[in-house]
Amino acid sequence: MSEAADKTAALLAKLWVKIQPIVEERMVVLDRASQAAAQGSLSEELRLEARSSAHKLAGSLGMYGFDEGTRVARELELLLGSAAPDPARLSPLVLELRASVVPKS
Amino acid sequence: MRRILIIDDEDDIREVAALSLEATAGWEIVAASSGAEGIRAAAEHKPDAILMDVMMPGMDGPTTFRQMQQNPAISRIPVLLLTAKVQGVDQRRFADLGVAGVLFKPFDPMTLAQQISHALGWKD
Repeated sequence: MSEAADKTAALLAKLWVKIQPIVEERMVVLDRASQAAAQGSLSEELRLEARSSAHKLAGSLGMYGFDEGTRVARELELLLGSAAPDPARLSPLVLELRASVVPKS
Repeated sequence: MRRILIIDDEDDIREVAALSLEATAGWEIVAASSGAEGIRAAAEHKPDAILMDVMMPGMDGPTTFRQMQQNPAISRIPVLLLTAKVQGVDQRRFADLGVAGVLFKPFDPMTLAQQISHALGWKD
């Protein structure tokens, strides 16, 4: 890896740590939407908020090397684009998304 | 040295794009968090190119681009739209606008400068 690539990778790793609160905030919105959908009480406002969170995660996770996270977030964005997303699909996808952003040791 | 204006409402996208272009290409970066702020920054800093998000609250990327086209001081600056959407219909819509190109999120920070150079036909 070149010096510039090394430097970029190091800066990205630091930035990934720095943005954890934002990622977690978006994950929490998806958790809330998933729970509400399971209880049959997903409001339009929360659905749109969750779709926006999924959209933002889809657009950013891959930058940090979490390509699977981007793929799952895109699936969630599509699912949440439906007026009545299927809770049976929503819950496992949200869990899958969380698992996908755990750094590989 | 190239100067790039990044317009995106998401802090982390601006930050990653900036550090990527500074570290891998040595370009100078100017950033704005909204379309209106981006138009002002373009007029003030006269960047060589603008990298702009499509979906932004308030004025979105296409609307910002159209406003830039009305301003002779900045209308010739090439604009690359940055979007998370990959459907063909969106790409056609953006191409019809007259932008210099479309790049997709998530971008690879290691190759973003190359993608921009390629899209704009820059050889350096």
